[in-house]
Amino acid sequence: MMNLIASMERMSRILNKLLIAIAGLFLVAMMSLAGANVVLRSFGVPVKGTFELMGLFGAVVAAFALAKTQIERQHIAVDVLIRVFPAGVKRALCVVKYLIGAIFFILAAWQTGQLGTNLWQVHELSETLRIAYFPFVYAVSLGCVMIALVLIIELLKVFNGEGETKS
Amino acid sequence: MSVTVVGLLGIGILLFMLLFLGMPVGFTMAVVGFGGFWYLISFKASLGMVGSELWNTFSSYGLTMVPLFVFMGQICFYSGLNERLFKATHTVTGHVRGGLAMATIFACAGFAAICGSNTATAATMTAVALPEMKKYKYNPALSVGSIACGSTLGVVIPPSLVLILVGLYTGQSISKLFYGGILAGFLLAASFMVTIVILCWLHPDWSPRGEKRTLEEKIKALPGFFEAFLLFALVMGGLYAGVFTPTEAGAVGSILALIISVMRRTLTWKGFTAAVVDTLQVSCMVFVLIAGAVMFSRFLALTRIPFDIADWVAALPFAPVAILGVIFIIYIIGGALMDSLALLLITIPIFFPVAEKLGYDPLWFGVIITVITTLGAVTPPVGASTYVVAGIAKDIGLGSVFRGVLYFLPAYIVCIILYMAVPEIITYLPSLIR
Repeated sequence: MMNLIASMERMSRILNKLLIAIAGLFLVAMMSLAGANVVLRSFGVPVKGTFELMGLFGAVVAAFALAKTQIERQHIAVDVLIRVFPAGVKRALCVVKYLIGAIFFILAAWQTGQLGTNLWQVHELSETLRIAYFPFVYAVSLGCVMIALVLIIELLKVFNGEGETKS
Repeated sequence: MSVTVVGLLGIGILLFMLLFLGMPVGFTMAVVGFGGFWYLISFKASLGMVGSELWNTFSSYGLTMVPLFVFMGQICFYSGLNERLFKATHTVTGHVRGGLAMATIFACAGFAAICGSNTATAATMTAVALPEMKKYKYNPALSVGSIACGSTLGVVIPPSLVLILVGLYTGQSISKLFYGGILAGFLLAASFMVTIVILCWLHPDWSPRGEKRTLEEKIKALPGFFEAFLLFALVMGGLYAGVFTPTEAGAVGSILALIISVMRRTLTWKGFTAAVVDTLQVSCMVFVLIAGAVMFSRFLALTRIPFDIADWVAALPFAPVAILGVIFIIYIIGGALMDSLALLLITIPIFFPVAEKLGYDPLWFGVIITVITTLGAVTPPVGASTYVVAGIAKDIGLGSVFRGVLYFLPAYIVCIILYMAVPEIITYLPSLIR
């Protein structure tokens, strides 16, 4: 069990590092694109398709940071009561919490993946730049897969007596 | 089971999952929204709703301003801009009784004008201002209380993440909400300063005077104000003049913050990457909250609960101000238990229609509930800012931080009463924008 958790964690760490690097590049691209559009617009030559590119880039930024945000416990939670529960109760509640979270994100990943495939099959393109939507929808799906993986790792850790319930 | 009962059950399950499972607020709202939709319509429709809402929220142009404003604040944070702001203010006001505490409030307000993060402000100010206040033997509770309360200004003074979300969620103009927060925020900062003056007058030994600086030293400190003022003026001026949209304001602000930091050689590569990673995490947290809130409100809309509550409350034989008072009390209690962002996203679908039905200005209501929920950042048991301050100032302790915060509570109450008595404090500046 410990070996399985360790190798899953290693894989998740490597993939998340890569995704965060890509998300960071998209963040800088968003800043540069919007800034360039402001400057160039004042000369009467706005950057074509800024509106749609910003939305698509924003999707990558948020989706690729999903898992890392969970690992760093940055998603807002109310843990006032949880903190005072006995370790056994805390552990049982954590199992429920991670299980519900993992199932939800697996379903969300599957559904956004389906949406991406549909958009691919009907050749849905953005209005101005005629960019295909599906790679960005798949990116959101990948983000959901990654956070589901992190939640499954957390769940396995709870079963193994590790993680946030250890103390 | 009637749809209303299903809706109430959904709200009950939401609260149970939030409080007893400690599940992230965004996930909980999404899961309850998904479950409720499934029960009322079908599993397939519910899945479709999750997929499309997730994609629509994540790819929304309106939300792209979130990472950009957060990035601007993070660059300023990692380049030490708030530290320079505090030092500049300290040079000017240090010789006045309570001057260091006032400098802390001023620096918090100035930093809030470029960064919307309470905890970032609380962390830096504790690291920078507290040692100075210790050096001059300031009362510990006054010192940490001024830092904790000063840090809450970030949520009220624009650009504020909370105001952005209130705007996006209620369909109001972000620029107008930002302008609504300016006077409200600076009035709050001024009332904190008055509190310090009163405390120093009552207890002269709490805040000994510092050394008086020469005019030359004061002039040399001016650039410390200049950067923050420039960024604030650029962002708010551009929005006022209609030169750019809020998203573009965030981008231009980030670029300028980056240029200033590079020119001053205050931002290292490590600091830059930390700013990027922090921005990604905060933005992702906000996107998930919004996506969850959208799914939850889709379910609530099916149950018609928000509209039923609004109709029911409007028909109550009480004065609107009394109902508003009850709403505010709910926000104060909720804010003490939950982060203001999450609380607002959960409650806006319920209370916003009520406020509108009672005839209150949506913009005024949006700003005032933002101020009220910020109180939660300094009140037990959650009080994020107080924990940050106490975590760094370990020798002072959480009890002293909460005691220090108590001194500033009357200032909050006076401000809230003033906002209610003179709504123009919030509505005047936005009325000037086209």
